[in-house]
Amino acid sequence: MSDKPIFQKLYNAIIAGDRSGLEKAVGDALKGGIPPSDIIEKGMSPGMKEVGERFARYEIYLPEMMMAAEAWEGAMKVLEPKLLESGSELRKVGRVVIGTVKGDIHSIGKNIVGAMLKMNGFEVFDLGVDVAASAFVTKAEEVGADIIAVSALMSTTIPQQKSVIEHLQARGARKKYRVLVGGGSTTQEWADSIGADGYGRTAGDAAALALKAVAKK
Amino acid sequence: MLSFDEVVERALTGPICTERDFDLGILVPNLRKVIEKYGIKYDPQNPVPNDDDLADRVWEAGMEFLVETGVYCLDTERRIIFSREEIEGALESCPRKVVFGEGKDAREMPRRLPEDATPPWCSGSGAGPVSTEWNLINIVKTYAEDPLSDGITAPCLTNLDGRDLVAGSPRGVEGAIRTVLLVREALRRAGRPGMPVVNEVASAVRATEHIAGHSFGNPDTDFIEIGTMHELKVDFDALNKVAYCQAVGNLTFAENGVILGGFAGGPAGVAVVSAAYNPVDLLVIRGVVQHSFAVLIERGTTSSRETIWARSVANQATARNSPLPMVTPVYTMAGPMTEMCYYEYAAGIIASVVPGGSIELAPPSRGVVVDHSGPIEEIFGNAVAHAVAGMSRKEADGLVLALLDRYEDRLKDPPAGTRFQDYFDVGSGTPRKECLELYRKMRREMTDKFGLKMALTSPYL
Amino acid sequence: MLSFWTVVERAFNGPICTERDFELGVFVPNLRKIVEKYGIKYDPQNPVPADDDLADRVWEAGMEFLVETGVYCVDTERRILFSREEIDGALASGPCGRVFGEGKDTRVMPKRVPEDATPPWCSVGPTSSPLSSELHYVNLVKAYAENPLGDGITIPCLTRVNGQPIVGGSPLGIEGAIRAVLLTREGMRRAGRPGMPIVNGVTTAARAQEHIAAHHFGIRRTDALEIGTIHEMKVDFDTMNKVAFSQAASNLIFAENGVILGGLAGGPAGVAVVTAAYNPVDLLVLRGAVQHPFPTHFDLGITSARDTIWARSVSNQAVTRHSTLPVVNVGYSAAGPMTKMLFYEHCAWVIASVVCGGSVEVGASARGTALDYTSPVEPLLASEVAHAVAGMSRNEANKIVKALLEKYEPQLREPPVGQKYQECCDPVTGQPKSEFLELYLEIRKEMADQFGIQFTSVSPYL
Repeated sequence: MSDKPIFQKLYNAIIAGDRSGLEKAVGDALKGGIPPSDIIEKGMSPGMKEVGERFARYEIYLPEMMMAAEAWEGAMKVLEPKLLESGSELRKVGRVVIGTVKGDIHSIGKNIVGAMLKMNGFEVFDLGVDVAASAFVTKAEEVGADIIAVSALMSTTIPQQKSVIEHLQARGARKKYRVLVGGGSTTQEWADSIGADGYGRTAGDAAALALKAVAKK
Repeated sequence: MLSFDEVVERALTGPICTERDFDLGILVPNLRKVIEKYGIKYDPQNPVPNDDDLADRVWEAGMEFLVETGVYCLDTERRIIFSREEIEGALESCPRKVVFGEGKDAREMPRRLPEDATPPWCSGSGAGPVSTEWNLINIVKTYAEDPLSDGITAPCLTNLDGRDLVAGSPRGVEGAIRTVLLVREALRRAGRPGMPVVNEVASAVRATEHIAGHSFGNPDTDFIEIGTMHELKVDFDALNKVAYCQAVGNLTFAENGVILGGFAGGPAGVAVVSAAYNPVDLLVIRGVVQHSFAVLIERGTTSSRETIWARSVANQATARNSPLPMVTPVYTMAGPMTEMCYYEYAAGIIASVVPGGSIELAPPSRGVVVDHSGPIEEIFGNAVAHAVAGMSRKEADGLVLALLDRYEDRLKDPPAGTRFQDYFDVGSGTPRKECLELYRKMRREMTDKFGLKMALTSPYL
Repeated sequence: MLSFWTVVERAFNGPICTERDFELGVFVPNLRKIVEKYGIKYDPQNPVPADDDLADRVWEAGMEFLVETGVYCVDTERRILFSREEIDGALASGPCGRVFGEGKDTRVMPKRVPEDATPPWCSVGPTSSPLSSELHYVNLVKAYAENPLGDGITIPCLTRVNGQPIVGGSPLGIEGAIRAVLLTREGMRRAGRPGMPIVNGVTTAARAQEHIAAHHFGIRRTDALEIGTIHEMKVDFDTMNKVAFSQAASNLIFAENGVILGGLAGGPAGVAVVTAAYNPVDLLVLRGAVQHPFPTHFDLGITSARDTIWARSVSNQAVTRHSTLPVVNVGYSAAGPMTKMLFYEHCAWVIASVVCGGSVEVGASARGTALDYTSPVEPLLASEVAHAVAGMSRNEANKIVKALLEKYEPQLREPPVGQKYQECCDPVTGQPKSEFLELYLEIRKEMADQFGIQFTSVSPYL
């Protein structure tokens, strides 16, 4: 029996952001003897890629991205232990700590970037909004992050992006992480002036920068 | 003196440090080092020591400690560091002869020394929580009617029309506004419309609420009470209140409640930290008054032997070395309408005034029980404060020891007292007979047994 | 209408819900269901549709969506729910004819409907665009205030105090907010418009304490505080604290909602419905005197894209046909000052707004985020256009907007940067440079010749 229909089910469930549907499809695939790595690479990952592309074409938006990402994360909770059992490991592209700076409560842009990064294979640790500078550093150290992504929307909160970099320097950890900045009031000029490693004007830019950053490591 | 802008700059760019490292890696070791270096030792037998050398050593210890430790900004996780020269510059630039209040109610804040005959500043009426707006009006009016009352601390509303007042929420904003408006009306009814409100606004927790309430009060002559956090810490919220006061030209009571048993350790550490706070109150809080009190961690009391010792030593240290006046809050453990409440007030007041401070009569029952305000006890306190101006520290020590004898063993289980509306006729705005009987009895005791010449100004003789 | 304190009560006692569950479990499914039920479909060929039935369906969809979804309080993690009766009660109590400004600068906020000949309200200014220095502030405000068609002024956002960057929420934020108000009052005084209302008090302020602190220094009862919801359908204590203060101080409120196209509201259809739903929210929760919407493209960060213009047009029609709460649309354009594109963009969304029943606030250039990229000239032209198109049909407006979109749409991703204020205007005199004035006159002529826009002679630059 061809495995194609089950991969199609997995793919569709990701596109639809159908968490329970995906978990069922994963369960069926595992029962059917399909290796976890194939479930991911032949069924789920193509779905995530398609979600990312449809978003880039403005055919879908944030809710679809978030639901696809949540469906993926739910399925991975089942699959990761199976991968370990079978002696393989899902290769994560990288780890990103993301948040909106202290004093700023805007989250949509951050959420879009976070979802986009997940689409591209990153493991994302989202600290939420109004996050102290030190919290970015502490989390990055805790999870062994590759990238710290710092979002700020307002002209009067972007100075906190500089503060994150200063906190990294104070802990002697600046060189360990790539720091990417973004958000409404940020510019390339600003990013350069504070010594950030990259500036993403759009979510797509952020993902591209992140991929480039881990490739350099 | 350094500008406030410079202080803010240091909050944003000073050396980075986690809070834990500040507390246990810097503050505590530095404090222990200076206590040992300067030989500061608690003497339980003399709660009001007569020792200028000790006072001066506490001061020096405080200044050295401050230079080495700095002030911690929670929001930026950085230390604000000052040099000794900058501290001296601040002390020299201290505002002098500051006037509070308006018209016939204008009062100059006195700068006092140990054993000073200058009458102390007395503010009071509460900051205690109240359940109804009528209680608030009556408490404030009653205290304000005493001619010895120089300023008002506003009680704290706990609900709006029966709905819980939640700090930081829109009810907090409305609560702050309403408090200010009610206090002003109470003062008007007392015939003291120009009396300064010294803790605008008691129910306000956050800068938003303070500033909102302030817009409805009297910005030129009222105070905002702005506090540091335990110990030697500030945050943006506190600094924002300062920024606002600077812009408006307000007066500030700079508040520091040092916890005995907290990071400051025992009485010796508390005395040193209290002294250190004096220039902090000038430089960071831009205060015109240091509003400092030692409080015991376990019971939240300020009338225990060790807190009284810490207070009297710190007051002497500061009064002898700094032009920034001190107004010390005096709380009681016992509730209103109890003899113990009166004794505690008397002890706390004597231990504050004789060493060189002024006083704020803070609420009974530690200021935490709803409707346990004691404006009559506070009027008594005004008279005690005036009666002991000019007294020697030696005599004060004897009085305080005698008063401690009367209540110390009950500090762990003090009498609860009576609710305001149960001993006060809220409708007519007058104290009930039993309240006045106790008040007069305690006045007589102060005169007959303790030899205090109590003023005759009270409206309730 | 429900009292504000009842609304606060519901923030404390409403049904508990995590933020995630509100977003993906309540908001998104409700919106999708309702968009489908009412058949709301985006039509890219008609950015300014002449379709009363569509407008009415968007309105009904918005009201049904609001009843089922409610508003989320982030600080209490609860939903504030309203019944349809309560919503209708709010709409019936809506403010009419609110007066802004003082003395000879007093203006009454008009209530308009689609194709209304009533002149629209025009707020002019940089719409919170950031300025690097207060040295330019007074002259910039003065230049805006000199526009006789400007009914209210939006003030720029200071980013530095004494050379230090302003950090929102810090003491510098307090000082920045105070300074912005003081400088603005002086700018208006110099323009001979001392009573002109400030309508975005206080733009440098990030938090409630900054707004309220600055208030003490010159925000009057006849000015407006700008208070916004959080994307989407959310509020927090800080927002509600500003409202509580405004209630006590008797301030007017511009209730701001920038629905993000591409965010939780999804595409243009969802954005139109959510924008409509916000109208009674602005009455009930924010106690607004005006709804102040700006549907923004999540990627481009502007309101002049085709899909955002469609969403704006449709929601303006929906709201103005059904609600007493007037709409003042605010816009963010991509191009920088002293570029043709910026003129076209401003004109496009302004025409769409005015003809569909709204008023306008013009307007931010360079997405409102680039430091110093602001000028008084383009908003002046846009305000002239706004007045000129009052009474125009939607069909006519549609043709003009489509033609304007053709001129700039391909450049939205990479718009011309333009020039900073101090490059295109003389910061000392406050006057635009001669080449800038030439460009202004050129575009003015183009609008008249190509589109038949009839300009008056009020402009100070003629």
